[in-house]
Amino acid sequence: MKPTRPSQPWWLLSPMLAALGVFFVYPLLSALRTSFYEWDLLTPPRFIGLGNYRAIFGSGELFGSLGTTLLVSVIVVAGSLLLGLGLALAVNRPGRLAALARSAVFSAYVVSWVSVGLLFLWIFDADAGVVNQLLAAVGAGKVKWLTSTAVAPLTVALIVLWKVTGYAMIVFLAGLAGLPPEMQEAAALDGAGPLARLRYVTLPMLRPTAAFVATTSLIASFQLFDVVRLLTQGGPVRSTTVLVYAIYEQLFRDLRVGRASALVVVFFLVLSALTWLKLRAFRSQEPA
Amino acid sequence: MQRRAFLLSSAALSGGVAGCAENEAPPGRVVVPFWFTYGGRNRATLSTLVTRFNRSQNDIWVRAVFQGDYFEGLAKLRTALAAGAAPPLSHVVGEVVPYLAEAGVLEPLDDYPGARTLPLLPALGQPGSFRGGAQRPLVALPFNRSTPIAYVNQRLFDAQSGSPDTWEGLRAVARALTQPNRFGFGCPIDWWYWAALVGQAGGRVVEPDGRISLGDDAGVRALALWQELVADGTMKQPPGRDYNAWEQLSQDFLAGRVAMIWSSTAFVRYLEETADFPVRALPLPRGVRGSVPTGGTHFVWLKAAPRELKRAAWSFVRFLLRPDSAAFWSSETGYLPVTTEAAQLLRVSGFYERHPNYQVALEQLAVAEPWPWSTSLFRVQREIVQPCLEAAVLEKLEPGRALAEARRLAEESLP
Amino acid sequence: MIGERSVRRLALAAALVAAVVWLFPYAWMLLTSFKTPQELLRAPTAMPSTWRLSAYAEVFRSLPVARYVGLTTVMALSIAALQIAIALPAAYALGKLDFRLRGAAFGLLLSALLIPAELRFVPTFTLFSALGLVNTLPALVLPFAVSAFGTFLLRQALLAVPNSLIEAARLDGASELYIVYRVLPPILAPSLMAFFLVSFVHHWNDYFWPLVMTVDDQVRTLPLGIALLREQGSGVRWHIIMAGSTLLSLPALALFAFSQKYLMRGLGSGVG
Repeated sequence: MKPTRPSQPWWLLSPMLAALGVFFVYPLLSALRTSFYEWDLLTPPRFIGLGNYRAIFGSGELFGSLGTTLLVSVIVVAGSLLLGLGLALAVNRPGRLAALARSAVFSAYVVSWVSVGLLFLWIFDADAGVVNQLLAAVGAGKVKWLTSTAVAPLTVALIVLWKVTGYAMIVFLAGLAGLPPEMQEAAALDGAGPLARLRYVTLPMLRPTAAFVATTSLIASFQLFDVVRLLTQGGPVRSTTVLVYAIYEQLFRDLRVGRASALVVVFFLVLSALTWLKLRAFRSQEPA
Repeated sequence: MQRRAFLLSSAALSGGVAGCAENEAPPGRVVVPFWFTYGGRNRATLSTLVTRFNRSQNDIWVRAVFQGDYFEGLAKLRTALAAGAAPPLSHVVGEVVPYLAEAGVLEPLDDYPGARTLPLLPALGQPGSFRGGAQRPLVALPFNRSTPIAYVNQRLFDAQSGSPDTWEGLRAVARALTQPNRFGFGCPIDWWYWAALVGQAGGRVVEPDGRISLGDDAGVRALALWQELVADGTMKQPPGRDYNAWEQLSQDFLAGRVAMIWSSTAFVRYLEETADFPVRALPLPRGVRGSVPTGGTHFVWLKAAPRELKRAAWSFVRFLLRPDSAAFWSSETGYLPVTTEAAQLLRVSGFYERHPNYQVALEQLAVAEPWPWSTSLFRVQREIVQPCLEAAVLEKLEPGRALAEARRLAEESLP
Repeated sequence: MIGERSVRRLALAAALVAAVVWLFPYAWMLLTSFKTPQELLRAPTAMPSTWRLSAYAEVFRSLPVARYVGLTTVMALSIAALQIAIALPAAYALGKLDFRLRGAAFGLLLSALLIPAELRFVPTFTLFSALGLVNTLPALVLPFAVSAFGTFLLRQALLAVPNSLIEAARLDGASELYIVYRVLPPILAPSLMAFFLVSFVHHWNDYFWPLVMTVDDQVRTLPLGIALLREQGSGVRWHIIMAGSTLLSLPALALFAFSQKYLMRGLGSGVG
């Protein structure tokens, strides 16, 4: 449709553009600028060129938190794909049990990270938490869910998975709902059993959906913060310090605005790369 | 039972609502926000004192705001300072006072009414708390001050004959008290206790010339002692970080999983009241000498706040430093009495005779080691030394090398 | 070869397991909130021996729950309302009007997805510090004025609205603003509902942004308040923390129960 006046669309867009400018574009540019300074907010900033970048690359801090984030990401992405699809297939049918399962799994997505975090902090408590108590009752040893450098990141990933699988599930459900039933019927008529139908008909057609879930989970797992803050504060010994938590610590614990900004810039580049991956995966999976 | 629960909850609800009303200052008063970081019993005791003050006069209303634990609260304070939203009064750990003072955010207190004549315990006030801090402007007043002390399960302890008054004694007692399902000793892997060990080994964390030596050789011996005890199987090292670890250790002690722990005198009341066994407090051992750091926090006034609020906050603190208030605070929480008058009051009233555990820390002040007036100490301690200690014990690193690395990082981080 | 019936049984088993795995933590949270500290330290007793409300009483005693709830609700409502107010004209322009550089404007909106709150908080904090807006309600609301997700949702829904409707309104003398804010909303009601719900719940539950934008309890939101229940000091507080966690979950769960279909549809349609 033609606009009533040539400038009309821009007026309509102006609030959005203004807000984008002030709260999205400006912060990014500002972070870029600040990343070349050393500043603790209490004393004037000091220009140090690439000093912050050298520090975060050299000290292993950046690679450490990137590595931790990647570890958690891989588990969350793989898990949400498998569980999301599996659950979607299981509950994609009428009946009260399926409806109950759907609601139960999705409800975790709806509640606050604070509730989920505190809840699992208690469940995974090394001494009095229910998981370890049950393990002790059956004779297995107690596991240091949140206090061992090796196990803690896995526990965090597991908790994240618990919370986000619901989202993957409903995306897959929507995907399944969009599949033409004729193909399934034709395959059944041809004598294909449910497993074969799944493998040769359903899954290939769900590839775009899976790509969407994978990349959404990937990007979301790079934005994790709340669960780390509540459960481990990045520890033990930084084993659960994901990227956003590292930025938070730099700013709020250490008051190193410059270094935090440098991390922000790197984070932005990583996120852009991941999103580019998402767009590519999406486009290349367009059904013929 | 249901009825009682119902009554309890409706009482609490109305109390909650009324509590909100209680928090509203009557009109005409100067409202002084005071940011604090205590939980549990200490918070309740503070509340009582705040209410007493608010009721005792008609000009000022103190609004106490809870900000989480020390470290969260400090982070918020610093960011609030940066954002121009700081309160007039808060309290901070000793090690960060020099940093804040040098950054110019603390209000000098020498000219406030009565500042020069406060009867503070020498080891606890700014002059005694900081080596090299006495000649600088007064910027901090002690609030809840503590030393590390040892707690033993008296029943188990009496069943053996050793005494942990030297490092050898500590090792022996830990061994004697260790059983298949019980550790003889437990200590949080925390900078504070390590600093005590460094002093006991004859060293200092920061040299008089400002060099961050981390105790050199003494620091290594201190770290090695922990590693030996853990390797021996006689020391349990609690999981978690910061005060999570201390809390966890208390739980272990109370549940009988650890027979002897190092903790703060601030836990004395909680442990005595919650344990189902008699609890006895003991001083820390001597190495080549006795040495303990002091802990807890100091009141600080933030320069950026309006003059009127700062003066009002001063009146509040004067109230808290009165002998009856300070003695009340000490007896309720286990923190040290910060004025000579309060200490005297507790002695004279027979409190220490009835509660000998509370006196251990007070007597230990004789070997208290002041922190140096160093502006980077806090940062080095939190960012470099603490993780180094945790990693060294958790991953069994070679102590000499671990500390040398920490020393190098500390030097690099200095401006 | 696996037959239809075994597949069905497998699916039902999976659904059952899922229901248990996802419901058990809530159940445990609820049960814990009714226990006493002593019960918590001992081996897990499934049911509390006596159902005590003292944990809830303690939560209400230590936090001004009503005030936090009120503030959080006001904040979330403001954000959702602001987002809708800005997204409606934007979606209309991007979805219905032809103009040069439309692609560029759309691309700019897309790029907002690349800059999540976690990236923006450092400079936004320093900006608000300079303006003295830290620790105020605007700091919690304004940075979320644009919702890329919501704008896309509305645009998608608008594409299905016949142009003739809008042209008729124009012929009747309606201004573009009138069309955007009076004519379209009733037609877009389901999408608006989904947008509102998703945004409201998301921001109601938000922990990160209020954490970094507030310094004391003046504009503290409920998630922050409940998180502070972890305070150190004296002993076992799990029953209190679980009571707080339960209270925090109730509004989201209630809203979810009430509007499940909208929420699921709104989020599921985020595909493509």
